[in-house]
Amino acid sequence: MCGISGIAGGSDVTKRLYSCMLNLEYRGYDSCGMAVASGGAIEVRKNIGRVAEVFEKERFAELSGETGIAHSRWATHGAPSKVNSHPHTSSDERIAVVHNGIIANYVKLKEMLTENGHNFRSETDSEVIAQLLEFHHKKHGNFARAIRETMEELEGTYAFAAVVAESPDVIFCARNKNPLIIGVGKDANYVASDVVAFIEYTKNVVYLNDNEYAVVSKDSHQVFSAATGAPMEKEIDVINWDAEQAKKGGYPHFLLKEIYEQPTAVRSALQIPIEDIERIAKMAQDAEQVYLLGVGTTFYVTMLAQYYFKEIAGVFAPSISSDEFSYLCNVDEKTLVIAISQSGETFDTLEALRYAKANGAKTAAIVNALGSSMTREVDEVLMQGAGPEKSVLSTKAALSQIIVLTRIAISLGEMRGSLSADARDELNTSLWELVDVLRRLLDEKPGFIRRVAKRISSYTKWLFIGRGYHMPAALEAALKLKEVTYIPAEGMPGGFMKHGPISMIDEDMVAVVLMPTPENERLYNSTLINVSEMKSRGAKLVGFHFNPDEKIFDEDIVLPKAHYLFAPIPELVAGQLLAYFCAILLKRHPDNPRGLAKSVTVE
Amino acid sequence: MIILSGKPLLEHSLVMLRETGITDVVIVVGHHSEQIQDYFGRGAAWGMSIEYVHQSTQSGIGDALLLARERFHGLDYFVLSYGDTVFSENIFAQCLGSFSEFKKSTAVVALAQSSELYGNVYIEDESRISRVVEKPKGNQMGNYVLAGTFVLGAEFFDLLKENEAKAEAAFNALAKKQGLYATIWEEDWTDMNFPWDILQANKVLMSGFRESRISNLAKLESNVSFTGPVLVDDYAEIRHGAVLKGPCYIGKHCFVGHNSLIREYTSLGDRTTVGYGVELKNCVLFGKTRIGRLSFIGDSVIGENAIIGSGTMTVNESLNDEPIWVEIGGRKMSSDLSKVGAFLGDNVVIGASNTLLPGTLVPPGSRVPHRGTLDRERLIKGMK
Repeated sequence: MCGISGIAGGSDVTKRLYSCMLNLEYRGYDSCGMAVASGGAIEVRKNIGRVAEVFEKERFAELSGETGIAHSRWATHGAPSKVNSHPHTSSDERIAVVHNGIIANYVKLKEMLTENGHNFRSETDSEVIAQLLEFHHKKHGNFARAIRETMEELEGTYAFAAVVAESPDVIFCARNKNPLIIGVGKDANYVASDVVAFIEYTKNVVYLNDNEYAVVSKDSHQVFSAATGAPMEKEIDVINWDAEQAKKGGYPHFLLKEIYEQPTAVRSALQIPIEDIERIAKMAQDAEQVYLLGVGTTFYVTMLAQYYFKEIAGVFAPSISSDEFSYLCNVDEKTLVIAISQSGETFDTLEALRYAKANGAKTAAIVNALGSSMTREVDEVLMQGAGPEKSVLSTKAALSQIIVLTRIAISLGEMRGSLSADARDELNTSLWELVDVLRRLLDEKPGFIRRVAKRISSYTKWLFIGRGYHMPAALEAALKLKEVTYIPAEGMPGGFMKHGPISMIDEDMVAVVLMPTPENERLYNSTLINVSEMKSRGAKLVGFHFNPDEKIFDEDIVLPKAHYLFAPIPELVAGQLLAYFCAILLKRHPDNPRGLAKSVTVE
Repeated sequence: MIILSGKPLLEHSLVMLRETGITDVVIVVGHHSEQIQDYFGRGAAWGMSIEYVHQSTQSGIGDALLLARERFHGLDYFVLSYGDTVFSENIFAQCLGSFSEFKKSTAVVALAQSSELYGNVYIEDESRISRVVEKPKGNQMGNYVLAGTFVLGAEFFDLLKENEAKAEAAFNALAKKQGLYATIWEEDWTDMNFPWDILQANKVLMSGFRESRISNLAKLESNVSFTGPVLVDDYAEIRHGAVLKGPCYIGKHCFVGHNSLIREYTSLGDRTTVGYGVELKNCVLFGKTRIGRLSFIGDSVIGENAIIGSGTMTVNESLNDEPIWVEIGGRKMSSDLSKVGAFLGDNVVIGASNTLLPGTLVPPGSRVPHRGTLDRERLIKGMK
């Protein structure tokens, strides 16, 4: 998983490439590099480390030229090292390539090229692209043809960009199953894996589809079909994000910033036109079987939604982890698959959707990132409009997905006649109240949560317990903690406790209990039983609850009250803050946890 | 003037200001102002230009600012920094950085041990502060608080004037009208409310130590061992067998006896004498103090000119694992710390063989007699 970017034309190419790389650092950050074409030669600088470190160490600022490409890498093939970093050059060093994706047949291609006298330097699959381009370029003397033949021979997934010594004013780029976008600027054109790379410079973009390549220069950009070589007509889309929004503002980390943006994200999700919601609800109404798909945090989002589909619409819509979908589920034309993905590029979910489509199912997706692969592959797309999410940990996007799915459940309940108009209005009001509930939580509680974090962050065994619709929230809170602090944390339904896990509870364990509101008597009482079980075994008990007079926990995190059905939502936010503060106290980097990348575009 | 690791707290702030390129400073001083003025003078030694404004009564930040107002004539923005805050990294750099993005008045906010002592802020979208609640009562609020560093627009002086020099009201007015933006500080910081805050401040500063520095005027005997960053100042004398574990600071003319153990986060002010076999851990000694042999002082603060008899033990942990309480002015305050020793004022004398329980506060000038297991009077009677 990697971020690629490139700039053709204008001044300060290296400076702007550097800012593109920083903006893409969320996609990978074990190494990075830059290649600049000028005066009939290509200069490459690269190394392992964070972008800012490598920029200093390798003195990127010394490079000059009118065209350049850059890369930040997250190793899949070949350990992070200077030689394995991108850009990779061809044997004659007249072509440099940056690549995102996996070349499946690189071993075979490497053998063929080695036999033909190509000299490989790295262990990566990506180097094959540079060598193969050189091979075909030498054969035909025509770079466009070299790209087409290269694309024909490559198997796997890729987006790549190349600079060539012979044509120092253009960038060649191509895409197959990995994202690639062209930015159309005033005095320069851009290419990147994600619009956030160059959004400071231009908001006009052109999307490449699979099996297309493009030739981008200072004042032109042309997309071609790889199959026919014919030029493609492309419209320029305009991105509506505020570039300011893509920066951190006064927040020390994107994670905290995005946690604080959740009231707004909820509001935006509630303002999505009802017709858009109803379109997907109608598809669910027409289907015999509905599956909700996500992986990681989005899996827990669908798990919570599964409860809301049952409670609100009276429909059992199983939540399935995308990576398991094809092994587990029977799919036919009466099936609807609703997939959730922040980036719209999630490999596992895309694969599951392709499996569903191949078997005739209808597909819908709730996606945050505009113009992503998923938006173009499904029958119906719902843009959640939560704004860019840059921290690797999903917070506001996940919360807004829950709201969208809840609205779909409400709409479906109405269509099925299982939800009265009064009940619908009550639920809608309660959803709107969440905006204020979250605002109050964020305005009044972080200090308490940080103090609790200070007292418990040194624990190395964590358990998160919830029952009913609090269970997915417990699982998600545990995931948040483990991904950002690297502390083993389990989340599970309260009912599990007696069937095994209780034997691991002792005074070295923190048990975080997600208490339901007391008016939900049955859930409340059975959760209470878990509390006393764990208390008697000496666990450090932390309660997420809504009652300022509650006396049963060692540490209380009292949350502003929400509708009983939506009580897990403030709990999710409290879980995010707890994980964030523990990470700060343990000196972990909240925005870039080790070994994680923002959108997982590989298996 | 509190001196930690050989420098007044204020100096740490001034050095950081200087690093961000700010050289013109007005310091509002109250009592003991001579000490501050003598030390900093006109600021030439720091490459700064320092002016002083006197505030005769302790009548708050707002009043202090208004007293200094004319010195800021003609400026659009100024930096405001509370003198008693301590931070591990350059807080001014962050504040100015955020200010350059917001281009509006900017306040550094941080999470504090207790929100009840500070102005709590409500933060809206885009980091704008919607209101400031000064020292909220009860336990209902626990949010980010004003951390004592700001970049403020010149209009703030007028707002202070309109609001009878009340800082809270002026901050609220600023937030409502021209706008006040928050930049969140997640690094260590502390300010001086309670005795244990001195330990916290010391820790914050020492966590910035990167290397050992031994003055070539110090005298070290053989077999003195060092680990971690240790600072030994001029004319300090360390006898053999002593073990120094950094970060720690040994001030000018200090004496450290044979086989002593100076552990992490210990700061010995100038002319402290540490006897044979003494263990010191996470404590601040302001200087000119004598500690008798075979004592243990941990998680404690000791004022100037104190005498601690030999065999004195501070106890720094409660048995029930609860945070330790300290009684201050008749009020029980939780330190929120699991380890707290004792707090001794200036000129305190502690006799030999005393045990000081967690959270003990000894007022300046107090004298505590020796303790013995044998009663001398009865012993003499028995001999007859």
